[in-house]
This record gives sequence, C-alpha cells and structure tokens, in this order.
Amino acid sequence: MNNVLALAGVVIKEMRRRKDFYVLFILTALITTVLGSVKFFNDDRVVRYLKDACLLLIWISSLVIAVTTAARQLPAERESRTIFPLLAKPVSRAQVIAGKFVGCWLACGLALVVFYFFFGAITASREHSWPLAIYFQALWLHWICLGIVVALVLFGSVVFTAPSSNATISLIVVVGILFCGGHLNGVAVHMQGISGSILYIIYYCIPHLEWYDVRDLLIHNWERISWAVCAGATFYGLLYSAFLLGAAWLVFRRKTLTV
Amino acid sequence: MTRLVLVLVFVCCFTLATQLAPVFESLQARGGRSSPLLALVGDSRRLFANQFFVMADVYFHSGYYPTIFDARKKEGPSHLDVAEQEGGDTARSGRKVVVDDEQFMGAPRDWIERFGRNFFPTVHTHLQGETAREIMPWLKLSAETDPTRIDTYVTASYWLRTRLDKPKEAEEFLREGLRANPGSYELLLELGRVYSYEEKNSRVARNIWELALDKWRRQRSAGENPDPRGQEEILGELVREDQQSGNLKQLLADLEELDEATPRNAVIEKEIQDVKAKLAH
Repeated sequence: MNNVLALAGVVIKEMRRRKDFYVLFILTALITTVLGSVKFFNDDRVVRYLKDACLLLIWISSLVIAVTTAARQLPAERESRTIFPLLAKPVSRAQVIAGKFVGCWLACGLALVVFYFFFGAITASREHSWPLAIYFQALWLHWICLGIVVALVLFGSVVFTAPSSNATISLIVVVGILFCGGHLNGVAVHMQGISGSILYIIYYCIPHLEWYDVRDLLIHNWERISWAVCAGATFYGLLYSAFLLGAAWLVFRRKTLTV
Repeated sequence: MTRLVLVLVFVCCFTLATQLAPVFESLQARGGRSSPLLALVGDSRRLFANQFFVMADVYFHSGYYPTIFDARKKEGPSHLDVAEQEGGDTARSGRKVVVDDEQFMGAPRDWIERFGRNFFPTVHTHLQGETAREIMPWLKLSAETDPTRIDTYVTASYWLRTRLDKPKEAEEFLREGLRANPGSYELLLELGRVYSYEEKNSRVARNIWELALDKWRRQRSAGENPDPRGQEEILGELVREDQQSGNLKQLLADLEELDEATPRNAVIEKEIQDVKAKLAH
C-alpha cells in the first residue's frame, strides 16, 4: 500500500507542477465571470444559464485533465526509461498500475474540489444558498465517473502505442457514452436482426457514465438523490474501475517495456 | 532573425486587417446589427436560433425534456407559448407539477434505464411566477442569432409582461424586433397588448392594432398568405377595445370585419345584432 501511495504522490506532484489544471481553471473562471456579467432584460437574478455554462466547462476541463494526465503516465515512464529503476525496486507491475490510478484519481478529485467550490461560490452570489448535499453528491458522482475514465485511459495506455491516439480514442469513447450510452437500448429495439442484439450487448457492457452527470438536477434546483442510489452508483463505478484496472494489469504484466 | 519574423507577422496582420475590415463592414450593413461572426455563420444561424429557443423550453420544464432519442407523441407548439394544465405545487423550487398526457419516457426497458432515471429530472413541471426569468437568456440569444425569428420576440414579450412584470423591457424588445422585421403584424399585435394590458393606454394600443391589421392586409394582397388567425386575433383585440370604450359604431364595423374573417360564428352574429339594436335606440 505504501508503494501505491508513494507512486500516487508522484503523480499528484506532477500535476501540481504542470500548467494544465491552472489554465483550465482560469479559463473556466474567466468565461463564467464574463457570462455572469451579462444582464438580460435588466434582471440580475437570472442564474441557471450561468450554472449550466459553468458546469459544462467543469465537465470538459475535468475530462481533459483526467484523460491527458492518465494517458501520459505509463508511456512517459517508458520513454524516459524511468520505468526500469522503478520496477527494480520492490514494486510490482500491479502496484505501478494501482499507484498511477490512485494518483490520477486523487489529482482529479483535488481539481474537482476547487472547481465545485468555485461553482458553489458563483451560484451562492446569485441564489444566496448553499445546498451542500446535492453539491456533495454531484462532486462525488463526478469523481467516481472520472475514476472509470482514468482506469479506461490507463487500460488504453497499455494497449495503444502512442499517448495521443490513446487520449483521442478515450475521449471519443467517453463523450460517446455520455451522449448516447443511455439511449442504445432504445435504438436497439428499433433495429432488426443481429445488429440490434449486438447493440444491446454493447449497451450492457459499457460503463454507464451518463448516470454520473447530474448537471440538470443541479442547474434546476431539484432535490438531492437518494443516498442509497448514490451508493449503488458508487459501487457500480468502483466495480468498473477495478475491472478496467485488472485488464490493464493483465496486459501490462506481460508487456515488453523497451520502446 | 526573430525581429524580422515579428515584423513580418505584424505586416501580415495589418494587411489582413485592411482586407477584412471592408468585408465585415459590408456584411454588417447587409445584416443590420448582426455581428461579423453571425454574418459568417450564414443561414445556419437559424438552426442555432431554433436550438436556443428549444433551450428556453428545456429550462421552462426544469430539464425534463425529450432528447433526439425520445420520440415525442405530439408535434405542436412548445409549452412556452400555450396555456398549460397544472396541478400541485413545489413552491420552494418555483415549479408546478403538470398533469401530463404525453409522457415521452414510457416505462423503463431494463434495470439500467430504471436506475439511470434517478440522475435526471423525470417529473413534468413548469416554471412558476418570477422563476420564469430563467428562460429569458435563451430567448435573447435566439433573437440575437436570428433577428428574423418573430416567435422569439412575441414569446419573450409575453413572459416579460405577464409573469415578470417588465412591460418596458417587453416593449423595448418588441421594438428591437420591429426594426429587424418592419412588416410583422405579429409583433405589432403583441406591442398593442403591452400598451393595452400593461400600460393601460388604449388609444396607442388601438393605433398599433390598426397598423397591425393594415400590415396583415398588405401581406395578403401581396400573396404572402398571412395566418388567418392573426387577423382574427387583431380584430378580437380591437373589438374588446371598442367594447371597453363604448364606441358602438366602431364596434359594429370591427365586428362585421371579424364576422367576415370567421364566418358562421353564432356568438359574433348575435353580438352584431345586439350592437345594431343598441344603435337603433
């Protein structure tokens, strides 16, 4: 466990050194503030469009951070050949995968806390309320979703050769699932023959990331989700992350590390 | 070397600016007050404007809205511009639950769909009272993107004057629309309503509705097939105004025209007989 945490610490330090998070956060803050300065029909209490824009930017930024951070972990170690001294220590390949995952996931979590605090502050400035329960649920579910994404990208980084192709394919898959994942069953029932069955299989196999996107509930001030449902979604997310990490480890343990 | 490159880049920028400035000016002159970006987008701006209008409807339903994957059972006007049946109350959130006769979701097909419904709005509600202001940014954006979309101005004005108590803003927005669509009788009809219902200025309202009727007639004579309901609505407002002011001669004239527009309407015919009887006394 110490090895995993030590590796995770290195990943978090790396994210702190890199400019990705700062640039994305400043961009999010800047765009949201500019949008917030616009007055529609002399009414300064209009807030939902602002929440919508801010949350969209947070989702885009967090996905970019998660994918780019996770995609470069293993290829960078291999390219700079630091993977050899790392594995020469009493660190197994499973621990490397786990450490990289925990590091990326925690780094995403830290970024999310900052993003959601900013979102809360912007919303409170107009709505004068802090519905902490739904904020916490949104942040938590978002983080669990990023856990699946990080695991998926780590799996991609041992399958694909270049980090750029891995990042691009992973982003397409994640965005595709977010937009269409929940509707594949509806499309499948209208399809004839084997193609419908294949689509249904895909529907059951993919991780349903769209569950974790609770922006509409947050934007339109709906009541919080039941905690049992949240726990169910957490269990589902952790299960998928574990499965993807297991798959990544299976490929990585037999992989030749020379570039 | 770096300095030379910088000078070259500067010269390129300056040349490009001198080339583009007149192009943007001509585009602006053609498109009225539209920005160069919108001018460059061309006719696809209508798609964006429609999407922004739909977004206003999405906000009106607090996110409960069919996606492109959900088939709507009925096609028709959005809830933004029709009266709704409502029951129940969720005062805290500014919403009212709507008695729904056209559920687009149906029963969940599997456990994934059933579980997934916990994470997005699944109750049909409409924004109530002042919370309706949340739809306004999208309507404004829709009008900015496509200033010729008349529905946007009319809908925005309706909400501004009836729910948000902002008749001045409604009038301003309608006048903005009239500058982009000077021949629109719909905008004049709505402007007349602002004057009649909110400003209580029946004289100006009447003048505006007469102008609206004139525009409608001109469109018909030009073969543009204006909506007959537009004429009925304008005449309806004129008749109501005549009834309030007690101008029987004008009322009779307007009623007769309304009768021509809506033939075999027993209520109108009875009203005409009543007015004629009053005039005979």
